Amino acid sequence: MTAYGLLIDYEYCTGCQSCEITCKEEHDYPVGKWGIRVLDDGPWEIEPKRFNWNKIPVPTDLCDLCTDRTSTGREPMCVHHCLANVITYGKVEDLAKKLPEKGKQVLFVPQFKPYEAKGPFVHDPSKGLRKAAHLEVQENTAAERMAAHRGDARVEEY
Amino acid sequence: MKTKATPAIKLDTLSDVNDLGKPWRYTEDGLTVTRSSVWSPPGCHPVGCGLKLFVDDNGRLVRVEGDENHPVTQGRLCPRCIALKDYVYNPSRIVFPMKRDPEFRGQDDKWERITWDEALDIIEERYKTLTGKYGRETMVIFTGTGREGGTMAPFATMSFATPNFCYTQSGYACYTPRLAACAYITGIPYPELDYAAGLPGRYDDPEYEVPEVVMLWGKEPLPSNPDGFFGHSVIDLMRRGTRIISVDPRVNWLSTRADYHLRLRPGTDTALALAMLDVIIKEEIYDKDFVDYWTYGFEALAERAAEMPVEKAAEITGVPAEDIINAARMYATAKPAGILWGLAIDQKTNGMQNGQAVVALMAITGNIDRPGGQVVGDINSGLNEGGFGFDEGIGPELAQKMIGIKEYPGYCNLILNSQADMTLGAMETDEPYPLRMGMYTGNNLLACTSAEPRRWRDAILRSLEFCIAFDCFMTPSAQATCDLFLPLATVAEREGTLFAEYGAAPLYFGAMNKAIEPGEARSDLELAFTLGKRLNPHLWEEYDTVRDFINHLRLGRQFDFEDLRKEVTLQQDISYFKYESGTLRRDGGLGFNTPSGRIELYSSAYRTFNEDPLPYYEEPHFSPVSTPELFEEYPFVLTTGARTYAFFHSEHRQIPYLRELNPDPFVEINPKVAQRLGIADGQWCEVFNHIGSAKLKAKVTVTVDENTLHAQHGWWFPETNPNDLDENGPYQTFRSNINNLVPNFHVGKIGFGAPFKSMIANIRPLEESYDTDMSVVWDKFGKLV
Repeated sequence: MTAYGLLIDYEYCTGCQSCEITCKEEHDYPVGKWGIRVLDDGPWEIEPKRFNWNKIPVPTDLCDLCTDRTSTGREPMCVHHCLANVITYGKVEDLAKKLPEKGKQVLFVPQFKPYEAKGPFVHDPSKGLRKAAHLEVQENTAAERMAAHRGDARVEEY
Repeated sequence: MKTKATPAIKLDTLSDVNDLGKPWRYTEDGLTVTRSSVWSPPGCHPVGCGLKLFVDDNGRLVRVEGDENHPVTQGRLCPRCIALKDYVYNPSRIVFPMKRDPEFRGQDDKWERITWDEALDIIEERYKTLTGKYGRETMVIFTGTGREGGTMAPFATMSFATPNFCYTQSGYACYTPRLAACAYITGIPYPELDYAAGLPGRYDDPEYEVPEVVMLWGKEPLPSNPDGFFGHSVIDLMRRGTRIISVDPRVNWLSTRADYHLRLRPGTDTALALAMLDVIIKEEIYDKDFVDYWTYGFEALAERAAEMPVEKAAEITGVPAEDIINAARMYATAKPAGILWGLAIDQKTNGMQNGQAVVALMAITGNIDRPGGQVVGDINSGLNEGGFGFDEGIGPELAQKMIGIKEYPGYCNLILNSQADMTLGAMETDEPYPLRMGMYTGNNLLACTSAEPRRWRDAILRSLEFCIAFDCFMTPSAQATCDLFLPLATVAEREGTLFAEYGAAPLYFGAMNKAIEPGEARSDLELAFTLGKRLNPHLWEEYDTVRDFINHLRLGRQFDFEDLRKEVTLQQDISYFKYESGTLRRDGGLGFNTPSGRIELYSSAYRTFNEDPLPYYEEPHFSPVSTPELFEEYPFVLTTGARTYAFFHSEHRQIPYLRELNPDPFVEINPKVAQRLGIADGQWCEVFNHIGSAKLKAKVTVTVDENTLHAQHGWWFPETNPNDLDENGPYQTFRSNINNLVPNFHVGKIGFGAPFKSMIANIRPLEESYDTDMSVVWDKFGKLV
């Protein structure tokens, strides 16, 4: 399966929050829910007159990479509206190739609703209660006494 | 005016499946898409961002996207237009005319729906009665900033034919002081940083040079698109190698990327600029040819600048001398270099000198009218509506009754406005004559524009017998003071034009194309036309339709709107070094449009207004230096007007998605100060001084130093009680209005400039919380109608 992602050039993310609002409009997420958030680290002083201040858009668990749009060949809305033009959508393998080109980049591979994506719990009948591994220990040592309650199976049998 | 089709330059992040090359209107998946270059409302400055408005078969706006065909915005869009649907269909929007008995001003439940016919009948009756009794000058129009309504001078000149068109901020402390300084010294309306907005190839155009350095002076362009400049153009330039110098008391995103960040004490900019001039002149790193050929008064300027050596400026401004020297050298030696000058220049009593000194920096470095320096218009440029209809509608006799014209001719004659502070005075005293009728256009002065807002309210209530509001939403100002409310069309519901930067720089212009029907709402242009035809039909004989009016007022009859709408945007013809070609002067002579034909570093115009012809530093009227005893009580310098992406001034508080970005008004306070005063991050505080107080929420941050407080403006709370019942005013606007702390009548000699960014104040923590409950905002405004 091809994975898609968002490459963020956070050297130029100004924190305009267009991504946040356009995502909410696109998905009708109400107040309190977000598909992407701009995280804000700073400003804090590295040394006199020099500050660290990075803003980084981070897709949330509600980011579906605008499936309805991207399935027609268009880019996600956060990419379209970003005022500083710092978000690129694409195949992860293509985006990864751009990472060495410059600093201050980060590549996100979002997972929409990760809990639901795991699916409901289904017991795998091939799995039984796991027996503890038999440990090869020297006799008459503390380690042997600690392992005494374990089963006989050897580690390599698992 | 020569024009050219605008290029569509694809951003590299835009997919290959896109709408580049689409016509002004097309259909897609059963929706009708209208491309538009929008101005207002909702409020913004005229950038004319490109929008695609998607409308379904029922005529409903269902989707808004940035238009990738726009030459400057290229599909990019800020949160405010992304949320346009939530503004257009907001349940609290007012979509029909209403009246209220003046006896019940301030009471929300006394409004009564009426028809447009009845509204116009009321206006006509009141206008005839009141102007019959007091003269046409009894009518005052309160204008705001940014929006089209704020600039619709024909409301005054042609609809009501009154000389009193008034931007209600003390000292017109927004944009116009800079414009005036530049116009008086150079004859050019506005020197914008050249960001290639008028060139077909944009940054790659062969005529363009990327500036090596951009100096941001008192401007934070990213959140606010100030004066019509697309703020993120600075990012475009930084990607192409431009380096930054930031002149700003605060740390902001751009300043943390700057080579030099000159963190001056608020209000001391002119001292800094004079010292930079002194360095550049003494080190002879100015453009000698340009100075020799094209400036006047250089020696005098040099002498004046020499009175402000860097050591002295360092002491006044708090900026280390070494940084002043290095920044001055960097700016002067970079070729080309541009300055983005901002609102902070206007928001001080000393503003006209600040503007004058910054223009001198642009001039002596030879960066005016140079690619990648300052881009300027020719003799045909200028605020395109300035003076329109003035001679016909008002005439010389009535013009002399404009409030303030005798005291502040350099203000009133330049912008054809009554002077703001004196207009307040007239409403308080009936001197020089009574103002009895008013109208708000693009203005919400009680929440936003005006200093000492309660004083403005009381003056209006005492003075005006009849007052009209024209807006999309009920505002605190309309609720407290108006008797008639007229519904204003949003940008999706109207036609009109848009000139980037108000037409003051020759860049591009476009059409606001109507995508949906407005119901009973009307645009500013439509209302001016409608009122004019009713009240002063002799001034409107040549216009049969609103389109006729648009074609004349906005397009100078050189275009037909019908043609422009299909282009959506057009670039203007741009040329550089015009002072060498004779296109800056009406007489066709070489040089600049000033009496001497040169840039007047020694200003004959300033002298005419009994102002010092040379720039000088004046301490803010309230400061640690000028009022040391008061400063002991109020030991912080207060700057107001913190910008945010979420709002345009006092707008957008009822748009839940935007309010969520910034639910409460904040005041920035340094962590060490907060620690000392026992103020926690997010704690509500009272900010107060000898003039007034406001309650805001502390944002504890190193963006401000230990001597400074920085507060947001424009706050009201549309989810709260609308009635003007108590000291908090309608919608609690006075509770958190930082303008309570800013005085009127502390303006410069020419009448411009006021201390919105250089006051003093103290701060104390409050026990109570006023936190906005976003679920209330969502319940009240989240369900669109």
